[in-house]
Amino acid sequence: MPLDVDVEIRRGDRTIAVAFEVGDAETVALVGRNGAGKTTALESIAGIAAATGRVVLDGRLLTDLPPERRGIGVAFQDGMLFPKLSVLENVAFPLRAAGVGRDIARTRAREKLTELAPAVDPAARPTMLSGGERQRVALARALAAEPKVLLLDEPFAAVDAEAKPELRALLRGTLADFAGPRILVTHDPVEAMTLADRLVLLEDGRVTQTGTPEEVRRRPATRYAAEFVGTNLFQGELVPDEPGVGILRTGGAELTVVWPDALPTASILDVRATLSPAEIALHIEEPHGSPRNVFHGAVEEVATLGGRARIRLRTAPPLVAELTTGSVDRLGIAPGRDVWASCKAVEIRLMVPGEEPDTL
Amino acid sequence: MYRRVPLSFVVLGAIGAAFVALPVLGLALRAPWGRIVEMLSGPGARTALRLSLEVSLLATVCSVVFGVPLAWILARGTFRGRALLRALVILPLVLPPVVAGVGLLQALGRRGIVGSWLERFAGVQLTFTTAGAVVAATFVSIPLVVLSAEAGFRSLDPRFERAAAVLGAKPGYTLRRVILPMVAPQLVAGAVLAWARALGEFGATITFAGNLEGRTQTVPLAVFQTLQTDQEGAIALSLVLVVLSICVLVALRDRITGIQDRATGTG
Repeated sequence: MPLDVDVEIRRGDRTIAVAFEVGDAETVALVGRNGAGKTTALESIAGIAAATGRVVLDGRLLTDLPPERRGIGVAFQDGMLFPKLSVLENVAFPLRAAGVGRDIARTRAREKLTELAPAVDPAARPTMLSGGERQRVALARALAAEPKVLLLDEPFAAVDAEAKPELRALLRGTLADFAGPRILVTHDPVEAMTLADRLVLLEDGRVTQTGTPEEVRRRPATRYAAEFVGTNLFQGELVPDEPGVGILRTGGAELTVVWPDALPTASILDVRATLSPAEIALHIEEPHGSPRNVFHGAVEEVATLGGRARIRLRTAPPLVAELTTGSVDRLGIAPGRDVWASCKAVEIRLMVPGEEPDTL
Repeated sequence: MYRRVPLSFVVLGAIGAAFVALPVLGLALRAPWGRIVEMLSGPGARTALRLSLEVSLLATVCSVVFGVPLAWILARGTFRGRALLRALVILPLVLPPVVAGVGLLQALGRRGIVGSWLERFAGVQLTFTTAGAVVAATFVSIPLVVLSAEAGFRSLDPRFERAAAVLGAKPGYTLRRVILPMVAPQLVAGAVLAWARALGEFGATITFAGNLEGRTQTVPLAVFQTLQTDQEGAIALSLVLVVLSICVLVALRDRITGIQDRATGTG
């Protein structure tokens, strides 16, 4: 792989050990909660965090090179634009640092700005810009010296909600045009799922899962991974029930599932199962009829995004359901309200150790 | 707003204020205002003023040239003995200037540990020369530059340096284009304070460089000497230093006091 990272960073009494690869023209999203070690991993690739291990780019070991000789472009969180330089001087900075003459550097910086931040006055001071504009200038600066690798650290962190879609579109185009490996650090599922070809999930300084967004969605390895891709994950013992039916015992709860044809009828430990939030139906009164799985509990949180609402339920097991905002209004769903959640057994997808999910 | 100050504090505070104000008032009241321009433009006074300006400005330049890198090392270095080095650099601030002068004689005087070597191999003699006066003034003023600059460097987000490095800048270029412009206010403040301190230097200069008219006799030394024979002349020269000091205070008013005046501020 063009970029091969295998580093270990000591931070006080904990270590962050991260290994992953990024191909040319591939975008990898390094995702994790705050404090998982994403930014530290990024800094070790850029050469500004003391790390052991190796960072190899196109067969060349970068680990022994100082940051200024690694040829890596970074758009930092909050932009990190130099406050005493104008926007134009900021973008020209990497070119000037590389020894390019002032006039040529400024011309090229102006071109990059026209391309990525046409609405920004090149003579303005960075402190005058909005969060979105700062990020655009930071991106122009990261790309100005034509780096071989592009790293983006939480590009949306300081950007207003209204400015996000436009910036996301710009980033998508910019990433697509960039020929080398590109890494996006984020804790936001929407950014990661819409911009990345592959996800690398970090939890507590370790990589817990790697895969395309679709792969992670279908087989989340951990609770965090399931939460990140917005699905429900259960784990427990699968025991046979009546013919063709199984019970998944998870925590203190039981879920009724379809017994997979491929499996012998015997209890299996350590089975994981996913349930898409969209497959969960909510009711104000206890439902009667076909659903085998009915859970009762209070609504914990309602988060709306566009026309959809994600509802976190304090059921056993805890569930996340997804409804249209119209249904939420019609049912009168609000935090604290008691509801019943139901789903069909066929909607629960099993992951049995040693079995491919498609065969189940 | 409800404020009350105890009467005892009003009395003691008034005495404190008078104590500070009276000497300045004394200079202003006793000054030979009618002849002051004539007195200050006399050859002796003009020589002292010119020399003071020269010596204090050169000392300021030396303090900045050597003090700013030292401040950077103290702010960003991670070596053993950094606290000791900082204490050593600040020492001239609290050292009695005459002691500084005696120390300079032992180090850079004709028989000093470095001075003798300087004279033998480089033919340079510092005692009784203008260069010696500059050395004495630099010695007492360099801590002010170091303190102010180090505070400036420490207040900077180190991520700016890292960002510059990742963007391809070597440390020197980063310092010149990114760091120094950001700490310019603190550097200017440090330089102005150093200049004021150098301008008023007396003890170390007279001990180390001597009191030679036209070579080492700066305004404070001239004030001291003139006072023996011509009180009005000494007052006139003193007033020049008072006016310059007030100018420094006005220029740096917020930086020196560091206190927002609530009565005229946001309240």
